[in-house]
Amino acid sequence: MSEELRVSPIETREVPGKRRFAMVVDVRRCIGCMACQVACKAEYDTPLGVNRTWVPYKVVGKYPNVKKHFLPRLCNHCDDPPCVRNCPVEATFKVDDGGFILQRYERCIGCRSCMAACPYNARFMLPAHRTYTPITNVVDKCTFCFHRVTQNLVPACVQTCIGRSRVFGDLNDPTSEVSYLVAKNATQVLRPEQGTKPHVFYIGADRNQTEFGRDAYRQPEVMELERAAFKRHFKI
Amino acid sequence: MGDYVWFHDVSWHATYAIYFFVIGILAGLSFLSYGSWMMPALRPLREKAAYGSLGLLVVGGLLLIADLSQPLRFLNILNPAYLHFTSPLAWGALNIVAFGVCSLLYIVELRKGEESVRGKTLAMVTALLALGLPIYTGYDLSVHQSRPMWNTPIMPVLFVALAIASGSAVGTLLAGGNQAAQKILREFMLWSTAAVGVMLIGILGTTNYGGSAEELTFMILTTGTMGMLFIGVGFLAGTAAPVAMLFFAHLKERTTGLFLAAILILLGSAALRYALLMGPQQLQTLY
Repeated sequence: MSEELRVSPIETREVPGKRRFAMVVDVRRCIGCMACQVACKAEYDTPLGVNRTWVPYKVVGKYPNVKKHFLPRLCNHCDDPPCVRNCPVEATFKVDDGGFILQRYERCIGCRSCMAACPYNARFMLPAHRTYTPITNVVDKCTFCFHRVTQNLVPACVQTCIGRSRVFGDLNDPTSEVSYLVAKNATQVLRPEQGTKPHVFYIGADRNQTEFGRDAYRQPEVMELERAAFKRHFKI
Repeated sequence: MGDYVWFHDVSWHATYAIYFFVIGILAGLSFLSYGSWMMPALRPLREKAAYGSLGLLVVGGLLLIADLSQPLRFLNILNPAYLHFTSPLAWGALNIVAFGVCSLLYIVELRKGEESVRGKTLAMVTALLALGLPIYTGYDLSVHQSRPMWNTPIMPVLFVALAIASGSAVGTLLAGGNQAAQKILREFMLWSTAAVGVMLIGILGTTNYGGSAEELTFMILTTGTMGMLFIGVGFLAGTAAPVAMLFFAHLKERTTGLFLAAILILLGSAALRYALLMGPQQLQTLY
C-alpha cells in the first residue's frame, strides 16, 4: 500500500518503525484437517458453538468435475477496523505496534455493536457459563495470538498447520515471508469493498466462498433446526 | 451437498426492535407536548404526552440495559474515561441521559400549572433532545457499512418519520373524542406515514438494485415470514392502508377511522422496526 492509499491515522501499514502483522493463507495448500481450529480451541478454551477461527468448505462443480474448497477464516485484524470505531466504551482497540485488534474483557458491556460492525463475523458472544475460564458474557475474537507473538512465537493455528497453508509475519518488514508471499502472488482479501483493509491475505481463494451466493438465501430454512438447538443451548 | 457452513448468531435481537419502537413513541409524544405550546388545539395533550414520554423512557432504558450481556456495566458507557465518540451508541447514551434530565425538569415545571416561558423553553429543549433519539437509533444502523439496507443515510430520517407517526398515533388515542386535536394529529399521521412509505419504497428499490448481498437481503425481506411482516404488516397494513384511511377520514371527520388508522400505524411501525433490524442481519449470519 502506498502512502497515498492510507486514509486513516489509525492505519499502520508501511509506517516506518512500526510492525504490521498479517497472515497469508495459501488455500491451495489447505487440506481441511481443521487442526488450526482445534489448536485455537485448545489455546483459548473457546467454548462449544463459537470459534475464533473456523474452516468452512464448499463442494463446487458436478461429478466428475468437483472440488472441495476450503476457506480458513479468522479475525482480519483490519487496518481500519469498523469494530473499533463502533465500540462505545473502547473495549476493543488496535495495538499501534503490530496492528493487533484486541478486546478489554473487563470493560466490554456486551452491546454487540462490534459484532454488528464486523463484515467477517469474526466476533462472538461468550456464553454465560464456562468450565475453566472465568471470562463470560462478553464479546471475544481472534487476537492473532498476541501473547505468543510478543514472545516471538507464531499463532497457534500457524504453528499447527500441517500443510503450511497459514503463514504469519510482519508485513512492514520487506524480508519477512508474508511480505514475500504478498509481493510474489496474486492475493485476495475478504470483502475489500468494505474498505476495512483486512490483514489476512488469501492465495487461491474461490469466489464461491468469498462472495454471497444464492444458497445463502436458502440456508436459513435448511439450518433452522441447528440454529434453534444452538440458541437453546446457549440460552440466546 | 456436503458443504460445511458455520452459522453465526445475529448481533442484535428482538429486544432492540422493541426498544426502537418505544423510543420512537416517546420522541413523538415529546414533540406533541412541545407542539401544545404552539398549537392550542393540542393543549389537552401536554401533560399526558410529557408523562407518557417519561414513562416510556424508563421502559426503553430498562430494555436497553437488559439487552446488554453485562447489564451492570451500563454505567461504563457514561464514564468519561471510557466514552468513545466515534460510536453512535456513546452519543445515544448521552442523549438519553440529557433527555431524561430535561424531561424531569419539564414535568416539575408542568406540575406548577403555569404557562411560563421557562416551561415553553424546557418543552423545546426536551423536544430537541427527543429528536436526537430516533436520529441516533437510525444512525446506529446506518454506520454499519457492511449491512445492506442499514447502510443508507436515509435511515435516521426514516426513524424520525416513524417517531412522528407512532407518537401522533398514540396522541390520537390519548386525545379521545377531542375533534380539534384530532384534526391536527390526523395531519401529522398522514404526512409522516406517507413520508415513511416513500422512504421505504426508495430503500427497497436501491437495495434490490445493489450487489449480491443487497439483492439477497431484498429477497429475505420480501418473502416468507419476514416478507409478511415487512411488506404485509409494515408496508401494506401499517403504512399504505392508514394513509388511505386518513386521506378519506378528512372528508367525513370520523373518529373511528382515525383510531383504526392510529392502531394500524402502531402495528406497522413495530413490524417495520423489527423487519428493518432483523432482516439485514440474516444474510450476514451465513458469511
